[in-house]
Amino acid sequence: MTVFIIRRLINLVPTFLLATFLAWFVIEIAPGDFASQFAFDQVDPGKAERIREVLGLNQPWPIRYLYWLRNVVLNLDFGTSMVSKGDVTSLIYPRMVNSFWLLLPSTILTFLIAIPIGVYSATRKYSIGDRFLTVFSLIGLAVPNFFLALLVLAFAVWFYQANGWFLIPTGGMTSSNYSSLTAWQQLLDRGWHLIAPLLIVTLSSLATTSRIMRGEMLEVLSQDYIRTAKAKGLSERVVTYKHAFRNAIVVIVATIGGVLPGLISGAGTVEFVMRWPGITPLFISSIFAQDVYVVMALLTVLTVFLMIGNLISDLALALVDPRIRY
Amino acid sequence: MLPPTPQPTPQAPAGTARARRPRRLGAFNSNGRQSESLTSIAWKQFRQHPLARVALVVLGVLYACAAFADFLAPYPERYINTNNTFQPPSRIRFRDEEGRWVGPYVYAMKKTLDMQTFQTVWEVDTSQRYPIKFFVRREGIRDRYVPFPVNLIPVQLRQAWGIRPTATLHLFGVDDPTDRVKVHIWGTDDLGGDVFGKVLFGARISLTIGILASIVAIAIGMVMGGLAGFYGGWLDEVILRLVEAIDAIPSLFLLLTLSAVFYPLGLPSSVVFPLIVVVLSLIGWGGVARTIRAQVLSLKERDFAVAAKAAGASNWRIIRVHLLPQTLSYVIVVMSLAIPGFILTEAVLSFFGLGIQPPATSWGLMLNTAQSFVGVSGLADRWWIFIPGVFIFVSVLAWNLIGDGLRDAFDPRSRR
Repeated sequence: MTVFIIRRLINLVPTFLLATFLAWFVIEIAPGDFASQFAFDQVDPGKAERIREVLGLNQPWPIRYLYWLRNVVLNLDFGTSMVSKGDVTSLIYPRMVNSFWLLLPSTILTFLIAIPIGVYSATRKYSIGDRFLTVFSLIGLAVPNFFLALLVLAFAVWFYQANGWFLIPTGGMTSSNYSSLTAWQQLLDRGWHLIAPLLIVTLSSLATTSRIMRGEMLEVLSQDYIRTAKAKGLSERVVTYKHAFRNAIVVIVATIGGVLPGLISGAGTVEFVMRWPGITPLFISSIFAQDVYVVMALLTVLTVFLMIGNLISDLALALVDPRIRY
Repeated sequence: MLPPTPQPTPQAPAGTARARRPRRLGAFNSNGRQSESLTSIAWKQFRQHPLARVALVVLGVLYACAAFADFLAPYPERYINTNNTFQPPSRIRFRDEEGRWVGPYVYAMKKTLDMQTFQTVWEVDTSQRYPIKFFVRREGIRDRYVPFPVNLIPVQLRQAWGIRPTATLHLFGVDDPTDRVKVHIWGTDDLGGDVFGKVLFGARISLTIGILASIVAIAIGMVMGGLAGFYGGWLDEVILRLVEAIDAIPSLFLLLTLSAVFYPLGLPSSVVFPLIVVVLSLIGWGGVARTIRAQVLSLKERDFAVAAKAAGASNWRIIRVHLLPQTLSYVIVVMSLAIPGFILTEAVLSFFGLGIQPPATSWGLMLNTAQSFVGVSGLADRWWIFIPGVFIFVSVLAWNLIGDGLRDAFDPRSRR
């Protein structure tokens, strides 16, 4: 086992290098750079060149990649943002925390709801409840997250116009008077802002996870040993939970590692529409501004989390499934 | 029933092998009669899937609407009218004030400014009725279009061959001699464009991009997976590492980074469209390559592959004729399940402003304008800008159902 972990960890190094190199390459083949926006400065025609000089953008890109890589690996220094002129790490850290506080409750909620739903649907296959949940998850899979978020915003505005007070806020993470509130009110305010994005994010992941759980449960329930267990007179309850459920949950455990990068990689479009100050809005604005170091820092951190998450998945799988041995 | 595997005859001389090759994935059973092929069984199974049949009909209607968008839409794709932004849908009436049947007509709509709230208020001008006519001809130079099968030819070729837009027939239009009154059954957007027409024209991009991207992704995946599985060695190692590296980068962010490559160039939409197809397929081929590789690894050791090799077939021929057709059912299922994913991804890209660029239209881009020009306070009043989202939802749902139906149809365990 230890040998396996060490081998996997060593294997991560070339993948990490190749992934960051690919990302850097893709960013570099985009035409122009951060200084391009100053190229037609009427007052100061040499401004773009000077900025390139200062930021080192006039160096060839493989050399800049190597410099960047050295700083990241040796000092964990992701460089300086070209837009905000601040340290990238201190720029992206609060964003990750914000995304985390949206995704952590969402993930917990997803597993708490999806696993019972999956078991229920599988044990009562083709019942009315199962059919209803199937339709529900099909809808959850097909609605684009950002469309749902737009609809929720429209509902919030409509409710305000009709009743004169906000049932749910129209985006953001805190109210504008947040700093003047007491600690308890601040907590309530945050929770109030969390409700809408939380439900939207949970809905889509709920559909996927409950479908996986249902499929696995059905697969296990059709096995011979389940029939044997029923034949020797075990109660339905014992068969479902002791024999079937424990085997079906293995696949869900395998996705636990995938949760880790998901926790900080943010809620994508939902963050963008609901103006949640997470990773995605920062990434989008950095992409448009060609702020290379911010883009690279986000990509790198997420990549590392994803790789570690996959490793944890494999280990967790080996831990719960005695048939897997490394 | 015999497993449906093709049975090449290794003893046959090389010259007749081509002629005797089974055209379909069929097997000969013991009495020599050809049994049903896998695809025909799957098709029968698929037709018994009630939801998949409904989905097939829905998609057929949607694709027909996209094909005949020029005819169905009352105004051309690039029609704008900046005096008429965010006009609510025109209500089509059939009876006059006394309740007598007069046929479909609309009233003109007038925009006034509410002096207390400074908001635009739309009022219905009931002084004159404008009847709606069906199968109208609009002869204006901008109203002419190239009808459906011909417009699939790229515009450069059409120009070289001298094919000029000639069709003038539209399904419906409002009868107004001054041509000032327009009928917008789903309202207008931020530039005064007709939302109904734009949804139809946007369907062309939104609905085809998924199919094209999944075809390209699966083609790359099959070639890469086939090469890696068949040749092994360093080629296998390189391809696997590449797939691993692409997989290691979170896909949404990689997608946005890739799209940002061509975004600053301000390319015309005829170039952006294939570029987005390429970007989407670059994200999607990894999983396909992995599975194809695994299947090829096991298939190439089977008797028929070894026999084909012994009979002197070339490597390329073995891959093409004996190995890849075996993965067909997997490929069909993956493709039908990948299409809705790509439709959603294109919508996300366009929604972020990194996908399709105006003046071309896609459903995601229409929602982008909804988000950026309406403003939060206008969302509740201007509900018609959400219509493209409903279409994304319906088409993704329909494709998902078809994918589910195909998966069940090809899965021997779920036969009915």
